[in-house]
Amino acid sequence: MKRLVSIIATVALAAQGFAGEVMVKGSDTMLNLTQRLAEAFSNAQPDVTVSITGGGSGVGINAITNGEVDIANASRSIKSKEIATARANGVNPVEIVIAIDGLSVVVNSENPVKGLTLEQVGRIYRGEVKNWSEIGGPNRKVSLYGRQPSSGTFVFFRDEVVKAEYSAAMRQMNGSSQIVEAVKADAGGIGYVGLGYLKDATGVRAVPLSKDGQEFVSPQDEAKVKAGRYPLTRPLFQYTSGKPKGDAKAFIEFELSPAGQKIVEEEGFLPVTSDYQAKNRAILQ
Amino acid sequence: MHRLKVLFAAAATLFVTSVFAQEPGETQFEHNGWFRYTNQSNSFKVTDPSVSRFALERGYVRLAHRWTNQLFTKFTLDFHSSDKYTEGATVRLKEAYADLAIPFLKDFNFTAGLQKHYFGLIYSWDYTHPDKTLADDRGVCASADYGLTVNGFLPGGFGEVQLGVYNGEGYKYAGKFVNVSPELLANLRLTPFAGLQFGASVFTNAKDNSPYKNDATGGRRSSDNKLRLMPDTANTERLAFAPMLRLAFGPVSLTGEYISYSFTRKFSQYKLIYDSANVLIDSTKEEKSRDYAQSGFDLMPLVTLAGRKVEVYGRYSMWERKEQSGDSMPVNLGASFTRFGGGVNYHFVRREKGKPGMGFQLAWIREKSRKEGAEPKDTFMAQFRFEWDALLKPPAL
Repeated sequence: MKRLVSIIATVALAAQGFAGEVMVKGSDTMLNLTQRLAEAFSNAQPDVTVSITGGGSGVGINAITNGEVDIANASRSIKSKEIATARANGVNPVEIVIAIDGLSVVVNSENPVKGLTLEQVGRIYRGEVKNWSEIGGPNRKVSLYGRQPSSGTFVFFRDEVVKAEYSAAMRQMNGSSQIVEAVKADAGGIGYVGLGYLKDATGVRAVPLSKDGQEFVSPQDEAKVKAGRYPLTRPLFQYTSGKPKGDAKAFIEFELSPAGQKIVEEEGFLPVTSDYQAKNRAILQ
Repeated sequence: MHRLKVLFAAAATLFVTSVFAQEPGETQFEHNGWFRYTNQSNSFKVTDPSVSRFALERGYVRLAHRWTNQLFTKFTLDFHSSDKYTEGATVRLKEAYADLAIPFLKDFNFTAGLQKHYFGLIYSWDYTHPDKTLADDRGVCASADYGLTVNGFLPGGFGEVQLGVYNGEGYKYAGKFVNVSPELLANLRLTPFAGLQFGASVFTNAKDNSPYKNDATGGRRSSDNKLRLMPDTANTERLAFAPMLRLAFGPVSLTGEYISYSFTRKFSQYKLIYDSANVLIDSTKEEKSRDYAQSGFDLMPLVTLAGRKVEVYGRYSMWERKEQSGDSMPVNLGASFTRFGGGVNYHFVRREKGKPGMGFQLAWIREKSRKEGAEPKDTFMAQFRFEWDALLKPPAL
């Protein structure tokens, strides 16, 4: 009997992955950031391999729910349905915030529009504004670029800004890099990407946004974003099955360390705020 | 190089997963086929089977269209092998419903049409074991039915709830075979913490006309030629209750349910009166009824191995049927049994949303009737399962 238990335990361990490997999957917004964090972590801990794949927040959450990965990257919070499914599978999704993103609305560098209200951006993406001249811009047709439905950014932007259906004219791009490239090549283009994708981008610029038409704030104005004055900030999450353990915990602790948070800033995102830091500490203790 | 590998993996993942979530205007086309060999014999005499057949047991063709973020419709036809037709195959309507997100009630939908039957394990049964759930197998209710439901998830992931009004006869019955007495259903599943799911379903239905269709042969005479049995049977006062439990820890899980189902069967018959020359001279119609009470349980332990590529499972079921005889309710031993068995599944490609899936299933079940002297019946199933889908985008404006 003991032998049988031992065999089952060994096989179960093998099914859960091997020590020295951390598998991360999910948000495309967080792909470059976590890749850089993984490289830095592997330099410090060469015996641990961190594998990062994208696919969208929903894909990552689905993977952690099925026990396929150690960490899910998500640019939106987990849904009730996903938590119920995870629990039924014996998985307790635990949430960590590793960075803050200022979701940015980008236009071609040639576009002279100085700022937009969230209401105007919503009208643009609902297809109610067809020409930039309707909102004080040049006489140029508006071209819409966005993400695919599997993306957490797609969901966040729809829920917070569009507040209805996206226009059928919006072109769905595979990733944020493609949005930047498309807007760069299209003088009438508009897109939305995580702050990190503006870091080295040329030919596009972030449009200052306003919630109420009073103050227009650029997502690249770090002080105002940190002060919570930019209207489209959001936490970037990682989910683990239960409290993080072993190599996955070591990787998350590195992400939240000063060295990790420096990389967060270098990649164009904002470090974790004090309230999220306190929540993270409670989980990692 | 490592970075390139990671980016390549990310691009590949994007390619295969980008299709699973639908946008307004998009239509998902899906095909799902089960090609099965079944061998049925008594006491392991597999070379002398009573059944030995290949068949396409399921051939679902599904079209799901998203009209808006709030409105979604689905239509499923099942093209499968059947010996009832000279062509060797038939088609049945399995799903046809509209699903509307309820405003101001997050994560709740209103569904109308031919849809899932949210009873017991039926609606979440993913055919890890290729056979049906016990409730479906024993005719407690069908896996799908015409109706109206409100279904959704509790805040914080603490479970799900469904309330429904159905025809009650099941998806195979329509038109004149459906009465005006609706089935009322409630289902609750709770997931208070990881690894535990429990809940219960209950339905009640004043009358079910489905036996009418089964017996609609114009009536028949009893073997002693003294009764004319009429086809106007109906099951009334139907009541079914099914608590369920699922425990999961790492790769190991145990799923079980208990089912209690009772009803009264009403039917009529003519008592035939003959003269001394054996000529029928009169008949008297008599209204009859008989009570039935059935109960049973199903247990399925499962171990998932090798990165979810392999599943090994067992299954134990028990069913008991009691039928009224005078004032007592003796057990009908011929309709009562225990079953046990198990099997293994190998997923060449694990089915996920938006990804094709392909797997091989091997299962064995032994059924032991409680009837004295009955030989155990063994059923072997070897099944190849494949599923794929494609997203049809609306034409660019």
